[in-house]
Amino acid sequence: MTLTLAVLDAFGGAVDFIFSPRPSRGSGPDVGGLGQVGELTLEHLRLSGAAMVLGLALALPVGVYLGHRGRAELLAVGIGNAGRAIPELALIAFLVAFVGVGFVNVTIALVVLAIPPILTNTFVGIRQVDRDAIDAARGVGMSELQIALRIELPLAAPTIIAGVRTSAINVIATAAIAPLAGVVTLGDFIINRNVYGDEGVLAGAILIALLAIAVELVLAAVQTLLTPRGVRVERALAARA
Amino acid sequence: MSVSAAAITVAQAGSDFFRDRSEADCIRDNGAFCAGWVIENADRYVEPTLEHAFLVLVPVALGFAIAFAMAVASHRARWLVPPFIGATGVLYTIPSLAFFFLLLPITGRGNVTAIVALTAYTLQIIYRNIVAGLANVPADAKDAGLGMGMTERQLLWRVEMPLALPEIIAGVRVATVTTVALASLAVFAGAGGLGNEIIAGSAITFRTGIVVAGSLMILMALAFDLLLLAIQRHLGRWRVAGRERAAGAPRLRRLRAPGPERA
Amino acid sequence: MHAREASRDEDPAGAALAVEFRDATKTYPGADAPAVDALTLAVPAGEICVLVGPSGCGKTTAMRMVNRMIEISSGDVLVGGRSVRERSAAELRRHTGYVIQQIGLFPHRTIAENIATVPRLLGWERERTRARVDELIELVGLDPELAGRYPGQLSGGQQQRVGVARALAANPEVMLMDEPFGAVDPINRERLQNEFLRLQAELRKTILFVTHDIDEAIKMGDRIAVLREGGSVAQFATPAELLMTPADDFVEDFVGADRALKRLSLLRVADIDLWRAPLAFAGQATSEVRAKLEGAEVPYALLVDSERRPLGWLSDSDLARDVVPARPNSSPEPVLDLDDVMRDALSDLLQAESQYAPVVDAQRRIAGVLSVEIVSHFLTSEEALTDEHPAAEREFVEP
Repeated sequence: MTLTLAVLDAFGGAVDFIFSPRPSRGSGPDVGGLGQVGELTLEHLRLSGAAMVLGLALALPVGVYLGHRGRAELLAVGIGNAGRAIPELALIAFLVAFVGVGFVNVTIALVVLAIPPILTNTFVGIRQVDRDAIDAARGVGMSELQIALRIELPLAAPTIIAGVRTSAINVIATAAIAPLAGVVTLGDFIINRNVYGDEGVLAGAILIALLAIAVELVLAAVQTLLTPRGVRVERALAARA
Repeated sequence: MSVSAAAITVAQAGSDFFRDRSEADCIRDNGAFCAGWVIENADRYVEPTLEHAFLVLVPVALGFAIAFAMAVASHRARWLVPPFIGATGVLYTIPSLAFFFLLLPITGRGNVTAIVALTAYTLQIIYRNIVAGLANVPADAKDAGLGMGMTERQLLWRVEMPLALPEIIAGVRVATVTTVALASLAVFAGAGGLGNEIIAGSAITFRTGIVVAGSLMILMALAFDLLLLAIQRHLGRWRVAGRERAAGAPRLRRLRAPGPERA
Repeated sequence: MHAREASRDEDPAGAALAVEFRDATKTYPGADAPAVDALTLAVPAGEICVLVGPSGCGKTTAMRMVNRMIEISSGDVLVGGRSVRERSAAELRRHTGYVIQQIGLFPHRTIAENIATVPRLLGWERERTRARVDELIELVGLDPELAGRYPGQLSGGQQQRVGVARALAANPEVMLMDEPFGAVDPINRERLQNEFLRLQAELRKTILFVTHDIDEAIKMGDRIAVLREGGSVAQFATPAELLMTPADDFVEDFVGADRALKRLSLLRVADIDLWRAPLAFAGQATSEVRAKLEGAEVPYALLVDSERRPLGWLSDSDLARDVVPARPNSSPEPVLDLDDVMRDALSDLLQAESQYAPVVDAQRRIAGVLSVEIVSHFLTSEEALTDEHPAAEREFVEP
């Protein structure tokens, strides 16, 4: 019972932190309150967004190209496997120690994290597109580029977006330790306990979790929207069978 | 003392001298990889590495046990699949760092918090792979199994699970590699692991330390991955067998009419 | 083959049982009409009953009601006089052989383990199971070396044989076979059919055999049930009756316009009188051979070896020499078996564009010569119109 009370108390304190500013535990300006929360959330999104956009811009075309040609399967899939093994903390630490702090540097580190799932899923998704459909498209006289963009990409979209989702989760999670590299995201609440206090730490955890879930829901909706209707129907029928 | 022995002693003293100088320089200049320092201090990495392995093996084992139980339950009661996927999905989405501190009021700082959070993260990967593996069992094998008189339970354990095993192990591999990487953050939860070698205190600037700790984590991930790959290959050896067909398949013999042997 | 005799005695369950459908009906939820509508059918013990009909006629559904892979909506199915509903589904199935078109071998188990599935489920001792597996592998004509291989390493025909072996393993009372030879090419299918009939002649199980192919039905069945869409019986009769007196237009259409030719499936080469060709041995004086050719039924001489196995036909240039050569100019192909179904034999003859074909017995020794003339003569004879030859009771000529 006391544990439950303690937990409720803690969470109550965290919620309070989110809404009302209070003096800092260290020296410095007041902390907490929606204003600061909003600021850090925006920075978190800015960082994650930049990394995702860059990651997509790099990984998507390469994945489409390799998938369409059917080349370098070992590389495309291998990068996906290798990407999973990158220790997030070591990545950021490496950055800080060898390259330097700052928004651009952290973004680059996060791009390294973002690329593997997108690359692998794009490659696999394109490879799995029905060969017959592609043959037919060629037979009709479509150019390779048209085939890639109009046939393969839409049909591979669900798999690709799944990769984007995995990527996004990793990026948002790692963006939480970006404060170590000088970019003040929501993770700052957690890392700098001596400034924000225990309520701040818990508030940070809650906010990061909510942010991740929100982004995930948005991307899930995007995945459904971008799935061509025919594929959706096909899948629904298959699921029911 | 012979000439050669003297020469060796001088050479030894000289290299010692230079090594001390360059090693200290290396450390002072924060070199990327001060080999001498690493060799001397190798034993300080033993415990964090073991802790790190512990922080990987326990969550994966626990995650596997839980996901497996969930998969067996939802195999019969299919309506459980969507809520299970949803629940494990939420746990997967919540960043581990946040998870550590959400658990803090309940489990406090230390290994337990880290293990709970890391276990939660593996659930979705493993659960999904078990479900997919079971779904990919050929329908005719299941039909034949039931038709020969296996009960549903016998079918599950003697036919479906063995056939799904390669895919399940593949899921465990992904979960393991991911957990090795994530366990680097366990330091924030007050747990052990190689993360402590990276962020000693709150400064993360010791280059050699970062390189060593990072490399150890990557090597550990690789080692676990290869080990599990070997297990996956062994358990799925009947798959490989198929490719050896056609070449040297023995000729069919004419059927002998059954009955007493003819002279 | 003492081992097999012993196992049959130990297993009274091995004796075949009759299967009966009594108004058996299956309606799927949400469907307008039943898939199988009040099916009433009695299959005598030890016979092959073929369920045949167009797709959607419920033949597979009816078959699967016997081992309760499909639950009966109303009516009953009895095996050996006992309702299948009285027995537990798993127990019922362990005593029912089950062969499906896609075979469904367990890819992760060796051939031997696959065949041993039901004996293991029944708790047989390891020695007994092993002996039975070895026996069955030989019985279905597989190389014993295959026992340790995995299904993925076998060809389609081999897998099919394993499927049959697996179904026979625990000496079931009843066998259910759903297009069991459907997944192989026509050549192998013919071979498998012949060999299965040979097996059945010895084992005499009660078999429900589902096929969509009327020719297979006529070849395999002791009795044939032609089902209409919606699963009711249009006619239940022996193959000969079906061909000679189809019950209505539907059956007549389904059987096909070439009923007379189809009757050739009811006969074996051994059933009719074959012609004799003069035989020649290597080194024999050709004058002797030429003397034999005068007035012979078959105007060609057949070169045979010391065991009377055909080596080839002798041409005029061969006979122009002094002695019969050791190697003939032409091959003896097509060489037919006494056990071959007449329809297949005729087909081989026509395909080879050959007028005559030597017929050999089980030891490959010459037994006579078949020609197209013989076949057509027989088809129009009185004998052909009245004879009936149940599929598995046909006798095999002993050497």
